[in-house]
Amino acid sequence: MNMIETQNLSKSYSGFRAVDGISLHIPKGAVYGFLGPNGAGKSTTMKMLLGLIKPTGGSFVIDGKTYPKDRVEILKEVGSLIESPAFYGNLSGRENLEIIRRILGLSKESVTEALELVELTQHRDKPVKKYSLGMKQRLGLAEALVGRPPILLLDEPTNGLDPVGIHEIRTLIKSLPERFGATVIVSSHLLSEIELMADTVGILNHGHLLFEGTLERLKENALTWGYPSDNLEEMFLAMIEADNRQRGGVR
Amino acid sequence: MNLLIECKKIKRTGLFPTFFIGGILAGLFPLLDMTFRAERYRKSSQPPIEILFSADWQMMAMLNTLLIIICACFLYYGEYADHAIQKMCSLPIRESRLFLEKFMLMSFLCLFVFVIEGAAFTYCALRWFGGRMDFFPLLTGVFKNFGYCFFLMLPAGLLSLLTASACGNLWTPLGIGVICLCLATMIPVNNPWLSLFPYALPFQMLAGTRAETVIFFVTAGAVECVVILLAELLFLRVRRAFA
Ligand SMILES: Nc1ncnc2c1ncn2[C@@H]1O[C@H](COP(=O)(O)OP(=O)(O)OP(=O)(O)O)[C@@H](O)[C@H]1O
Ligand SMILES: [Mg+2]
Repeated sequence: MNMIETQNLSKSYSGFRAVDGISLHIPKGAVYGFLGPNGAGKSTTMKMLLGLIKPTGGSFVIDGKTYPKDRVEILKEVGSLIESPAFYGNLSGRENLEIIRRILGLSKESVTEALELVELTQHRDKPVKKYSLGMKQRLGLAEALVGRPPILLLDEPTNGLDPVGIHEIRTLIKSLPERFGATVIVSSHLLSEIELMADTVGILNHGHLLFEGTLERLKENALTWGYPSDNLEEMFLAMIEADNRQRGGVR
Repeated sequence: MNLLIECKKIKRTGLFPTFFIGGILAGLFPLLDMTFRAERYRKSSQPPIEILFSADWQMMAMLNTLLIIICACFLYYGEYADHAIQKMCSLPIRESRLFLEKFMLMSFLCLFVFVIEGAAFTYCALRWFGGRMDFFPLLTGVFKNFGYCFFLMLPAGLLSLLTASACGNLWTPLGIGVICLCLATMIPVNNPWLSLFPYALPFQMLAGTRAETVIFFVTAGAVECVVILLAELLFLRVRRAFA
């Protein structure tokens, strides 16, 4: 069963097609890796799923609910971290989460839990404007995770984290389906990173979906296309390059 | 409605102290004025409230409106500064609710200032015109007058919030607000049509005003509130449609 399905979802900005008719199928309880170079349209797609921007074409269904009719219903089920973390700089990490908790009508413990999940408990009472980049990123993650939403949209969640932090967060994301029964979409530039977390991947370039399927299928494809299956990154780069060449060398 | 959330958001922004200090300053104004010029005012045979309002309200209204403009700018600046608004928009609430809650918070802060100012007026009336009026009629008089002024303050508050919600930074709406306020101070208070400008309405006063004029301004104020609210709703819709 698919938790999220899009049909020819598109977004144009005055003639420029940022997302060009992509049809995604995101299985329930999976970690779905959303892969693509800069400007591929990953953030744009995620913003459309959240109703932050309006699609110029196509449609999508999330957990049986359609946009724009059930926008508020959809948002009740989705936790998100898009592009840069969003927060009130004058408030502490805990106060920021408290605001979200109140809006979502969650229990008090959910804030403590979210802070623990991202290991921010120690810094919970510092004003967020005094947080380091990585701490802000962790807060952004906590804001997505608070209340254990069944669907998570995480846009480059490991941005700005140190190697230990990256490892922790990857492990956390990988464990989310089992722990909370969540469906997770993570975006990244690196196939090597996605490989460590995701079961299914979608590869995006210039707003087009180049590949969608399980990692196993991607490996099989790698073999048939003559790439070493133990270094998928190389194949990913070649795929992007071939697609760029097909488009007439524009990047 | 969850006003508490909006209250929490402005923690440590200095907005509460600003209103407190603003209220005290505005309240000090009639006190100082009376201290130095009591003799001149005592000669007048008008009711004390009318004397006080006509002597000091223009200045106080300007301060109040300035406070409201600053408040509106900071309330929305907090949302836009670190993209908090994006988070709010991806939670299951409507953006229009955010606007209404901010408006309510602003009204409460404004009410707080008016209470300080009302207390100052009551004190002045008792201290310098003690013999002319009993306490309770005086208190109801002050209450009515400030109630009227409060109501006529609302359109300016809504309009400031509308510009702040549309601009997404601090300085543009602040500049617009201050310019509008300057324009408003140039409008003569006794010109009813020009005084309909939302930023000019707060300069109106009840004491010494004819009943028809009062009804005229109350109606106009109510209509302006509704129009500005509808404009904000429309603006949010259009912005969403073009996002
Ligand atoms: N508001 C906008 N107006 C015009 N073009 C836009 C707008 N937002 C995004 N774009 C364009 O849409 C394309 C996709 O952008 P998007 O942010 O989705 O990329 P991305 O895949 O998230 O990239 P990155 O990995 O760098 O975050 C880019 O070419 C970008 O310039
Ligand atoms: Mg992006």
